[in-house]
Amino acid sequence: MHIFEGFLPSPWWQLWFVFSIPVLFFGMHRLNKLVSEKRELLPLLAVAGAFIFVLSSLKMPSVTGSSSHPTGTGMAAILFGPAIAAVLSTIVLLYQSIFLAHGGLTTLGANVASMGIIGPVFAYVIYKAGMKANINFYVVVFLATAFADWATYVVTATQLALAFPAEVGGVAASLKAFLLVFATTQVPLAIMEGALTALIFKYVIQVKSDALVELNVITESVLNKIKGASQ
Amino acid sequence: MINILDDYALVSPLRYRNNWLKIAIVMFGILVGVSSQSFIPPFAIALCMSFATVHFGKTSFKFYLKILSAPAVFVLLSVVIIAFFFGSGTELFGFDIFSYHLGVNTGGLEMALLVFSRTLSGMSCLFFLALTTPMVELFSVLKATKLPDSFIEISMMMYRYIFVFLEVAWGIKYAQTVRLGYKDWRTSLNSLAMLSTTLFIRSWEQGEKIFISMSARCYDGKLIFFEEKRPIRANELVLTCTYFAAVLALWYLTRIHSIF
Repeated sequence: MHIFEGFLPSPWWQLWFVFSIPVLFFGMHRLNKLVSEKRELLPLLAVAGAFIFVLSSLKMPSVTGSSSHPTGTGMAAILFGPAIAAVLSTIVLLYQSIFLAHGGLTTLGANVASMGIIGPVFAYVIYKAGMKANINFYVVVFLATAFADWATYVVTATQLALAFPAEVGGVAASLKAFLLVFATTQVPLAIMEGALTALIFKYVIQVKSDALVELNVITESVLNKIKGASQ
Repeated sequence: MINILDDYALVSPLRYRNNWLKIAIVMFGILVGVSSQSFIPPFAIALCMSFATVHFGKTSFKFYLKILSAPAVFVLLSVVIIAFFFGSGTELFGFDIFSYHLGVNTGGLEMALLVFSRTLSGMSCLFFLALTTPMVELFSVLKATKLPDSFIEISMMMYRYIFVFLEVAWGIKYAQTVRLGYKDWRTSLNSLAMLSTTLFIRSWEQGEKIFISMSARCYDGKLIFFEEKRPIRANELVLTCTYFAAVLALWYLTRIHSIF
Protein backbone atom coordinates (compact mmCIF):
# COMPACT_ATOMS: atom_id res chain seq x y z
CA MET A 1 0.00 0.00 0.00
CA HIS A 2 1.65 3.19 -1.17
CA ILE A 3 1.39 6.47 0.69
CA PHE A 4 1.05 9.17 -1.93
CA GLU A 5 3.13 12.29 -2.37
CA GLY A 6 2.41 15.09 0.07
CA PHE A 7 0.30 12.95 2.37
CA LEU A 8 2.63 12.81 5.36
CA PRO A 9 3.13 16.14 7.15
CA SER A 10 6.47 17.63 8.06
CA PRO A 11 8.10 15.90 11.00
CA TRP A 12 6.91 12.47 9.86
CA TRP A 13 8.24 12.06 6.36
CA GLN A 14 11.72 13.14 7.51
CA LEU A 15 11.57 10.69 10.43
CA TRP A 16 10.79 7.77 8.11
CA PHE A 17 13.76 8.72 5.98
CA VAL A 18 15.89 8.66 9.14
CA PHE A 19 14.62 5.14 9.74
CA SER A 20 15.05 3.88 6.16
CA ILE A 21 18.37 5.37 5.06
CA PRO A 22 20.65 3.48 7.52
CA VAL A 23 18.99 0.18 6.62
CA LEU A 24 19.38 1.03 2.97
CA PHE A 25 23.07 1.79 3.42
CA PHE A 26 23.50 -1.52 5.16
CA GLY A 27 21.74 -3.19 2.21
CA MET A 28 23.99 -1.40 -0.28
CA HIS A 29 27.04 -2.41 1.71
CA ARG A 30 25.93 -6.05 1.57
CA LEU A 31 25.18 -5.68 -2.12
CA ASN A 32 28.62 -4.20 -2.86
CA LYS A 33 30.30 -7.05 -1.04
CA LEU A 34 28.25 -9.66 -2.81
CA VAL A 35 28.79 -8.12 -6.23
CA SER A 36 32.54 -7.73 -5.78
CA GLU A 37 32.75 -11.42 -4.86
CA LYS A 38 30.47 -12.68 -7.62
CA ARG A 39 30.36 -10.27 -10.53
CA GLU A 40 27.76 -12.31 -12.43
CA LEU A 41 25.20 -11.42 -9.77
CA LEU A 42 24.87 -7.78 -10.80
CA PRO A 43 22.93 -8.33 -14.04
CA LEU A 44 20.93 -11.02 -12.31
CA LEU A 45 19.87 -8.64 -9.54
CA ALA A 46 19.00 -6.02 -12.13
CA VAL A 47 16.69 -8.36 -14.04
CA ALA A 48 15.23 -9.55 -10.73
CA GLY A 49 14.39 -5.93 -9.93
CA ALA A 50 12.80 -5.50 -13.35
CA PHE A 51 10.84 -8.69 -12.71
CA ILE A 52 9.53 -7.30 -9.40
CA PHE A 53 8.51 -4.08 -11.12
CA VAL A 54 6.62 -5.87 -13.88
CA LEU A 55 5.03 -8.25 -11.36
CA SER A 56 3.84 -5.33 -9.29
CA SER A 57 2.28 -3.68 -12.32
CA LEU A 58 0.10 -6.71 -13.16
CA LYS A 59 -3.49 -6.52 -11.99
CA MET A 60 -4.54 -9.33 -9.71
CA PRO A 61 -8.03 -10.79 -9.82
CA SER A 62 -9.64 -9.18 -6.83
CA VAL A 63 -12.54 -10.25 -4.64
CA THR A 64 -13.69 -6.83 -3.55
CA GLY A 65 -13.62 -5.32 -7.02
CA SER A 66 -10.94 -2.77 -6.34
CA SER A 67 -7.85 -3.13 -8.48
CA SER A 68 -5.02 -4.66 -6.55
CA HIS A 69 -1.43 -5.34 -7.48
CA PRO A 70 1.02 -7.78 -5.96
CA THR A 71 3.93 -6.12 -4.18
CA GLY A 72 6.49 -8.79 -5.05
CA THR A 73 8.70 -7.74 -2.16
CA GLY A 74 7.93 -10.87 -0.15
CA MET A 75 9.14 -12.96 -3.06
CA ALA A 76 12.29 -10.85 -3.37
CA ALA A 77 13.03 -11.39 0.32
CA ILE A 78 12.67 -15.17 -0.03
CA LEU A 79 14.94 -15.18 -3.09
CA PHE A 80 17.67 -12.73 -2.08
CA GLY A 81 17.32 -12.07 1.65
CA PRO A 82 15.96 -8.92 3.29
CA ALA A 83 19.02 -6.65 2.93
CA ILE A 84 19.15 -6.92 -0.86
CA ALA A 85 15.36 -6.98 -1.11
CA ALA A 86 15.38 -3.58 0.60
CA VAL A 87 17.71 -2.10 -2.03
CA LEU A 88 15.79 -3.64 -4.93
CA SER A 89 12.43 -2.48 -3.58
CA THR A 90 13.76 1.03 -3.12
CA ILE A 91 14.64 1.22 -6.80
CA VAL A 92 11.29 -0.33 -7.69
CA LEU A 93 9.44 2.18 -5.50
CA LEU A 94 11.35 5.05 -7.07
CA TYR A 95 10.41 3.84 -10.55
CA GLN A 96 6.82 3.28 -9.50
CA SER A 97 6.53 6.85 -8.31
CA ILE A 98 8.04 8.19 -11.53
CA PHE A 99 6.55 5.79 -14.11
CA LEU A 100 3.21 4.81 -12.69
CA ALA A 101 2.49 7.69 -10.30
CA HIS A 102 2.25 5.27 -7.37
CA GLY A 103 3.80 6.67 -4.20
CA GLY A 104 5.95 9.76 -4.01
CA LEU A 105 9.32 11.28 -3.27
CA THR A 106 8.82 12.77 0.21
CA THR A 107 6.88 9.66 1.22
CA LEU A 108 9.56 7.39 -0.24
CA GLY A 109 11.15 6.96 3.19
CA ALA A 110 7.88 5.80 4.72
CA ASN A 111 7.09 3.54 1.77
CA VAL A 112 10.55 1.98 1.83
CA ALA A 113 10.15 1.37 5.57
CA SER A 114 6.84 -0.45 5.17
CA MET A 115 7.24 -2.21 1.82
CA GLY A 116 10.98 -2.51 1.43
CA ILE A 117 12.18 -3.19 4.94
CA ILE A 118 9.57 -4.41 7.44
CA GLY A 119 7.53 -6.50 4.98
CA PRO A 120 10.55 -8.38 3.57
CA VAL A 121 12.01 -8.93 7.06
CA PHE A 122 8.72 -10.57 8.09
CA ALA A 123 8.71 -12.71 4.94
CA TYR A 124 12.29 -13.81 5.50
CA VAL A 125 11.89 -14.63 9.19
CA ILE A 126 8.69 -16.62 8.60
CA TYR A 127 10.25 -18.41 5.64
CA LYS A 128 13.38 -19.41 7.56
CA ALA A 129 11.41 -20.45 10.65
CA GLY A 130 8.92 -22.43 8.58
CA MET A 131 11.62 -24.27 6.65
CA LYS A 132 13.39 -25.12 9.90
CA ALA A 133 10.14 -26.46 11.37
CA ASN A 134 9.80 -28.74 8.32
CA ILE A 135 6.43 -27.42 7.21
CA ASN A 136 5.40 -27.96 3.59
CA PHE A 137 7.39 -25.63 1.32
CA TYR A 138 4.37 -24.11 -0.44
CA VAL A 139 2.55 -23.46 2.82
CA VAL A 140 5.63 -21.66 4.12
CA VAL A 141 5.87 -19.53 0.97
CA PHE A 142 2.17 -18.70 1.21
CA LEU A 143 2.44 -17.72 4.89
CA ALA A 144 5.63 -15.72 4.38
CA THR A 145 4.22 -13.63 1.51
CA ALA A 146 0.81 -13.14 3.10
CA PHE A 147 2.27 -12.07 6.43
CA ALA A 148 4.74 -9.77 4.66
CA ASP A 149 1.77 -8.02 3.04
CA TRP A 150 -0.10 -7.79 6.31
CA ALA A 151 2.97 -6.42 8.09
CA THR A 152 3.28 -3.81 5.33
CA TYR A 153 -0.37 -2.88 5.73
CA VAL A 154 -0.18 -2.59 9.53
CA VAL A 155 2.97 -0.45 9.27
CA THR A 156 1.36 1.85 6.68
CA ALA A 157 -1.73 2.26 8.87
CA THR A 158 0.55 3.02 11.83
CA GLN A 159 2.45 5.60 9.80
CA LEU A 160 -0.82 7.31 8.88
CA ALA A 161 -2.15 7.10 12.44
CA LEU A 162 1.03 8.56 13.94
CA ALA A 163 0.88 11.46 11.53
CA PHE A 164 -2.85 12.04 12.06
CA PRO A 165 -3.82 11.10 15.63
CA ALA A 166 -7.53 11.32 16.46
CA GLU A 167 -8.73 14.08 18.75
CA VAL A 168 -10.51 11.55 20.97
CA GLY A 169 -8.43 8.46 21.71
CA GLY A 170 -5.25 9.65 20.00
CA VAL A 171 -3.08 7.40 17.86
CA ALA A 172 -4.86 4.19 18.91
CA ALA A 173 -8.27 5.40 17.74
CA SER A 174 -7.10 6.59 14.36
CA LEU A 175 -4.99 3.45 13.93
CA LYS A 176 -8.16 1.42 14.41
CA ALA A 177 -9.94 3.53 11.81
CA PHE A 178 -7.17 3.25 9.22
CA LEU A 179 -6.80 -0.49 9.81
CA LEU A 180 -10.55 -1.06 9.44
CA VAL A 181 -10.97 0.96 6.26
CA PHE A 182 -7.96 -0.48 4.44
CA ALA A 183 -8.68 -4.04 5.63
CA THR A 184 -11.28 -4.42 2.87
CA THR A 185 -8.59 -4.22 0.20
CA GLN A 186 -5.48 -5.38 2.04
CA VAL A 187 -6.67 -8.57 3.74
CA PRO A 188 -7.84 -10.34 0.55
CA LEU A 189 -4.86 -8.91 -1.36
CA ALA A 190 -2.38 -10.56 1.00
CA ILE A 191 -4.12 -13.94 0.68
CA MET A 192 -4.16 -13.59 -3.11
CA GLU A 193 -0.51 -12.66 -3.28
CA GLY A 194 0.40 -15.54 -0.98
CA ALA A 195 -1.47 -17.99 -3.21
CA LEU A 196 0.03 -16.45 -6.34
CA THR A 197 3.60 -16.65 -5.02
CA ALA A 198 3.13 -20.25 -3.88
CA LEU A 199 1.85 -21.10 -7.38
CA ILE A 200 4.80 -19.30 -9.00
CA PHE A 201 7.22 -21.32 -6.87
CA LYS A 202 5.37 -24.49 -7.84
CA TYR A 203 5.91 -23.80 -11.54
CA VAL A 204 9.50 -22.63 -11.03
CA ILE A 205 10.33 -25.88 -9.22
CA GLN A 206 8.76 -27.86 -12.07
CA VAL A 207 10.64 -26.02 -14.81
CA LYS A 208 13.85 -24.55 -13.40
CA SER A 209 14.53 -25.81 -9.90
CA ASP A 210 18.32 -25.42 -10.24
CA ALA A 211 17.87 -21.62 -10.10
CA LEU A 212 16.40 -21.90 -6.61
CA VAL A 213 19.17 -24.18 -5.39
CA GLU A 214 21.77 -21.79 -6.76
CA LEU A 215 20.20 -18.90 -4.83
CA ASN A 216 20.21 -21.01 -1.64
CA VAL A 217 16.44 -20.68 -1.39
CA ILE A 218 16.00 -24.41 -0.86
CA THR A 219 18.45 -27.22 -0.30
CA GLU A 220 18.82 -30.22 -2.59
CA SER A 221 17.17 -32.53 -0.04
CA VAL A 222 14.07 -30.34 0.33
CA LEU A 223 13.82 -30.11 -3.44
CA ASN A 224 13.94 -33.88 -3.83
CA LYS A 225 11.26 -34.23 -1.18
CA ILE A 226 8.93 -31.77 -2.94
CA LYS A 227 9.56 -33.34 -6.32
CA GLY A 228 9.01 -36.80 -4.89
CA ALA A 229 5.73 -35.70 -3.39
CA SER A 230 4.45 -34.10 -6.56
CA GLN A 231 5.16 -37.04 -8.84
CA MET B 1 -2.82 -2.30 -19.09
CA ILE B 2 -0.72 0.34 -17.40
CA ASN B 3 0.47 3.77 -18.38
CA ILE B 4 4.22 4.05 -18.46
CA LEU B 5 4.66 7.79 -18.14
CA ASP B 6 8.18 7.53 -19.52
CA ASP B 7 6.75 7.02 -23.04
CA TYR B 8 5.14 10.44 -22.84
CA ALA B 9 8.29 12.03 -21.45
CA LEU B 10 10.29 10.88 -24.45
CA VAL B 11 8.16 12.92 -26.86
CA SER B 12 7.72 15.95 -24.62
CA PRO B 13 9.28 19.20 -25.87
CA LEU B 14 10.43 19.98 -22.31
CA ARG B 15 12.69 16.95 -22.51
CA TYR B 16 15.40 19.13 -24.04
CA ARG B 17 15.52 21.57 -21.14
CA ASN B 18 18.05 21.50 -18.34
CA ASN B 19 17.48 18.56 -15.98
CA TRP B 20 18.69 20.30 -12.86
CA LEU B 21 16.31 23.20 -13.42
CA LYS B 22 13.37 20.81 -13.73
CA ILE B 23 14.41 18.93 -10.61
CA ALA B 24 14.79 22.19 -8.71
CA ILE B 25 11.26 23.24 -9.74
CA VAL B 26 9.83 19.88 -8.68
CA MET B 27 11.65 19.69 -5.36
CA PHE B 28 10.67 23.27 -4.58
CA GLY B 29 7.00 22.53 -5.27
CA ILE B 30 7.03 19.34 -3.22
CA LEU B 31 8.76 20.89 -0.21
CA VAL B 32 6.68 24.09 -0.13
CA GLY B 33 3.50 22.06 -0.61
CA VAL B 34 4.32 19.70 2.23
CA SER B 35 5.35 22.43 4.65
CA SER B 36 2.42 24.71 3.89
CA GLN B 37 -0.04 25.45 6.71
CA SER B 38 -2.88 26.49 4.44
CA PHE B 39 -4.48 24.76 1.48
CA ILE B 40 -3.99 27.76 -0.82
CA PRO B 41 -0.27 27.46 -1.74
CA PRO B 42 -0.55 23.73 -2.55
CA PHE B 43 -3.52 24.38 -4.82
CA ALA B 44 -1.60 27.21 -6.50
CA ILE B 45 1.40 24.90 -7.03
CA ALA B 46 -0.86 22.18 -8.40
CA LEU B 47 -2.43 24.65 -10.82
CA CYS B 48 0.95 26.00 -12.04
CA MET B 49 2.53 22.58 -12.44
CA SER B 50 -0.51 21.19 -14.25
CA PHE B 51 -0.48 24.19 -16.57
CA ALA B 52 3.24 23.71 -17.23
CA THR B 53 2.77 20.01 -17.93
CA VAL B 54 -0.22 20.43 -20.23
CA HIS B 55 0.75 23.68 -21.97
CA PHE B 56 4.57 23.62 -22.14
CA GLY B 57 4.92 19.85 -22.01
CA LYS B 58 2.15 19.26 -24.60
CA THR B 59 0.50 16.47 -22.62
CA SER B 60 -3.09 15.72 -23.59
CA PHE B 61 -5.38 17.25 -20.98
CA LYS B 62 -7.73 14.27 -20.94
CA PHE B 63 -4.86 11.88 -20.31
CA TYR B 64 -3.53 14.17 -17.58
CA LEU B 65 -6.87 14.11 -15.76
CA LYS B 66 -6.97 10.33 -16.07
CA ILE B 67 -3.59 9.78 -14.43
CA LEU B 68 -4.36 12.37 -11.79
CA SER B 69 -7.23 10.17 -10.63
CA ALA B 70 -4.85 7.24 -10.00
CA PRO B 71 -4.25 8.00 -6.31
CA ALA B 72 -7.90 8.99 -5.85
CA VAL B 73 -9.09 5.87 -3.99
CA PHE B 74 -6.31 5.92 -1.42
CA VAL B 75 -6.46 9.65 -0.91
CA LEU B 76 -10.24 9.90 -0.61
CA LEU B 77 -10.48 7.03 1.90
CA SER B 78 -7.72 8.47 4.06
CA VAL B 79 -9.00 12.02 3.83
CA VAL B 80 -12.46 10.91 4.98
CA ILE B 81 -10.91 9.20 8.01
CA ILE B 82 -8.94 12.33 8.85
CA ALA B 83 -12.06 14.47 8.52
CA PHE B 84 -13.95 12.28 10.99
CA PHE B 85 -11.25 11.63 13.56
CA PHE B 86 -9.07 14.68 13.54
CA GLY B 87 -9.32 18.14 14.99
CA SER B 88 -11.66 20.07 17.21
CA GLY B 89 -14.08 22.94 16.84
CA THR B 90 -17.76 23.22 16.19
CA GLU B 91 -19.33 20.15 14.70
CA LEU B 92 -20.58 20.60 11.14
CA PHE B 93 -22.50 17.36 10.77
CA GLY B 94 -22.54 13.93 12.37
CA PHE B 95 -24.50 10.71 12.77
CA ASP B 96 -24.74 7.72 15.10
CA ILE B 97 -23.64 4.29 14.03
CA PHE B 98 -23.73 1.24 16.36
CA SER B 99 -23.99 3.59 19.35
CA TYR B 100 -20.83 5.37 18.19
CA HIS B 101 -21.09 9.00 17.38
CA LEU B 102 -19.23 10.08 14.26
CA GLY B 103 -18.99 13.71 13.39
CA VAL B 104 -17.01 16.10 11.24
CA ASN B 105 -15.87 19.31 12.89
CA THR B 106 -14.20 22.38 11.49
CA GLY B 107 -10.68 21.35 12.54
CA GLY B 108 -11.02 17.94 10.93
CA LEU B 109 -12.45 19.31 7.72
CA GLU B 110 -9.67 21.89 7.48
CA MET B 111 -7.02 19.21 8.04
CA ALA B 112 -8.63 16.94 5.45
CA LEU B 113 -8.70 19.75 2.91
CA LEU B 114 -5.06 20.59 3.66
CA VAL B 115 -3.91 16.99 3.26
CA PHE B 116 -5.91 16.66 0.05
CA SER B 117 -4.36 19.82 -1.39
CA ARG B 118 -0.85 18.75 -0.37
CA THR B 119 -1.28 15.39 -2.09
CA LEU B 120 -2.66 17.09 -5.18
CA SER B 121 0.28 19.50 -5.36
CA GLY B 122 2.80 16.73 -4.70
CA MET B 123 1.29 14.52 -7.38
CA SER B 124 1.21 17.32 -9.95
CA CYS B 125 4.89 18.05 -9.28
CA LEU B 126 5.73 14.37 -9.70
CA PHE B 127 3.72 14.22 -12.91
CA PHE B 128 5.59 17.23 -14.23
CA LEU B 129 8.87 15.38 -13.68
CA ALA B 130 7.50 12.08 -14.97
CA LEU B 131 5.91 13.51 -18.10
CA THR B 132 8.75 15.80 -19.16
CA THR B 133 11.94 14.03 -18.09
CA PRO B 134 12.72 10.53 -19.37
CA MET B 135 14.59 8.27 -16.96
CA VAL B 136 17.57 8.24 -19.34
CA GLU B 137 18.08 11.92 -18.56
CA LEU B 138 17.74 11.38 -14.82
CA PHE B 139 20.59 8.88 -14.81
CA SER B 140 23.11 11.65 -15.29
CA VAL B 141 21.62 13.32 -12.21
CA LEU B 142 21.79 10.04 -10.33
CA LYS B 143 25.44 9.66 -11.30
CA ALA B 144 26.26 13.06 -9.86
CA THR B 145 25.08 11.86 -6.45
CA LYS B 146 27.52 9.96 -4.31
CA LEU B 147 25.53 6.71 -4.28
CA PRO B 148 27.51 3.48 -4.70
CA ASP B 149 28.22 2.40 -8.27
CA SER B 150 26.55 -0.97 -7.94
CA PHE B 151 23.30 0.70 -6.91
CA ILE B 152 23.33 2.99 -9.95
CA GLU B 153 24.37 0.17 -12.27
CA ILE B 154 21.51 -1.99 -11.06
CA SER B 155 19.02 0.87 -11.48
CA MET B 156 20.16 1.53 -15.04
CA MET B 157 20.09 -2.09 -16.09
CA MET B 158 16.79 -2.59 -14.37
CA TYR B 159 15.31 0.32 -16.27
CA ARG B 160 16.27 -1.24 -19.59
CA TYR B 161 14.86 -4.62 -18.69
CA ILE B 162 11.56 -3.28 -17.42
CA PHE B 163 10.53 -2.59 -21.01
CA VAL B 164 11.72 -5.94 -22.29
CA PHE B 165 9.72 -7.80 -19.66
CA LEU B 166 6.67 -5.58 -20.00
CA GLU B 167 6.49 -6.48 -23.65
CA VAL B 168 6.79 -10.18 -22.84
CA ALA B 169 4.15 -9.86 -20.13
CA TRP B 170 1.73 -8.03 -22.43
CA GLY B 171 2.20 -10.61 -25.16
CA ILE B 172 1.56 -13.52 -22.84
CA LYS B 173 -1.37 -11.82 -21.16
CA TYR B 174 -2.99 -11.10 -24.50
CA ALA B 175 -2.51 -14.69 -25.62
CA GLN B 176 -3.97 -15.94 -22.35
CA THR B 177 -6.94 -13.59 -22.53
CA VAL B 178 -8.00 -14.63 -26.03
CA ARG B 179 -7.86 -18.25 -24.83
CA LEU B 180 -10.26 -17.38 -21.97
CA GLY B 181 -7.44 -17.51 -19.44
CA TYR B 182 -9.10 -14.81 -17.37
CA LYS B 183 -12.70 -16.03 -17.63
CA ASP B 184 -13.16 -16.44 -13.90
CA TRP B 185 -11.34 -15.96 -10.64
CA ARG B 186 -9.72 -19.40 -10.35
CA THR B 187 -8.49 -19.49 -13.93
CA SER B 188 -7.10 -15.98 -13.72
CA LEU B 189 -5.09 -16.84 -10.64
CA ASN B 190 -3.60 -19.83 -12.41
CA SER B 191 -2.93 -17.87 -15.60
CA LEU B 192 -1.28 -15.07 -13.66
CA ALA B 193 0.97 -17.56 -11.88
CA MET B 194 1.99 -19.13 -15.18
CA LEU B 195 2.67 -15.70 -16.64
CA SER B 196 4.81 -14.70 -13.66
CA THR B 197 6.74 -17.96 -13.74
CA THR B 198 7.56 -17.56 -17.42
CA LEU B 199 8.72 -14.04 -16.66
CA PHE B 200 10.88 -15.25 -13.78
CA ILE B 201 12.53 -17.95 -15.88
CA ARG B 202 12.99 -15.57 -18.80
CA SER B 203 14.60 -13.00 -16.55
CA TRP B 204 16.88 -15.58 -14.97
CA GLU B 205 18.11 -16.77 -18.35
CA GLN B 206 18.37 -13.21 -19.62
CA GLY B 207 20.49 -12.30 -16.59
CA GLU B 208 22.95 -15.07 -17.39
CA LYS B 209 23.07 -14.03 -21.03
CA ILE B 210 23.72 -10.35 -20.34
CA PHE B 211 26.60 -11.20 -18.05
CA ILE B 212 28.28 -13.25 -20.77
CA SER B 213 27.65 -10.68 -23.49
CA MET B 214 28.75 -7.77 -21.33
CA SER B 215 31.90 -9.52 -20.14
CA ALA B 216 32.72 -10.23 -23.79
CA ARG B 217 32.57 -6.47 -24.35
CA CYS B 218 34.94 -5.72 -21.46
CA TYR B 219 32.32 -4.67 -18.89
CA ASP B 220 34.15 -3.75 -15.68
CA GLY B 221 31.25 -2.66 -13.49
CA LYS B 222 30.59 0.72 -15.05
CA LEU B 223 28.30 1.64 -17.91
CA ILE B 224 29.15 4.97 -19.46
CA PHE B 225 26.72 7.01 -21.53
CA PHE B 226 26.87 10.16 -23.52
CA GLU B 227 25.42 13.17 -21.72
CA GLU B 228 24.27 16.24 -23.56
CA LYS B 229 24.93 19.66 -22.10
CA ARG B 230 21.82 21.80 -21.88
CA PRO B 231 22.44 25.27 -20.53
CA ILE B 232 19.60 27.07 -18.73
CA ARG B 233 18.17 29.83 -20.89
CA ALA B 234 17.54 33.32 -19.56
CA ASN B 235 13.77 33.28 -20.10
CA GLU B 236 13.47 29.92 -18.33
CA LEU B 237 15.40 31.27 -15.38
CA VAL B 238 13.23 34.40 -15.18
CA LEU B 239 10.02 32.38 -15.37
CA THR B 240 11.21 29.95 -12.70
CA CYS B 241 12.31 32.75 -10.36
CA THR B 242 8.99 34.56 -10.77
CA TYR B 243 7.15 31.32 -10.00
CA PHE B 244 9.31 30.68 -6.92
CA ALA B 245 8.82 34.22 -5.66
CA ALA B 246 5.05 34.13 -6.20
CA VAL B 247 4.63 30.82 -4.42
CA LEU B 248 6.87 31.87 -1.54
CA ALA B 249 4.90 35.11 -1.15
CA LEU B 250 1.65 33.15 -1.11
CA TRP B 251 3.13 30.74 1.41
CA TYR B 252 4.22 33.62 3.64
CA LEU B 253 0.85 35.38 3.45
CA THR B 254 -1.21 32.27 4.24
CA ARG B 255 0.95 30.85 7.01
CA ILE B 256 -1.55 31.64 9.80
CA HIS B 257 -4.62 31.48 7.64
CA SER B 258 -7.76 29.60 8.62
CA ILE B 259 -10.96 29.31 6.64
CA PHE B 260 -13.28 29.05 9.65
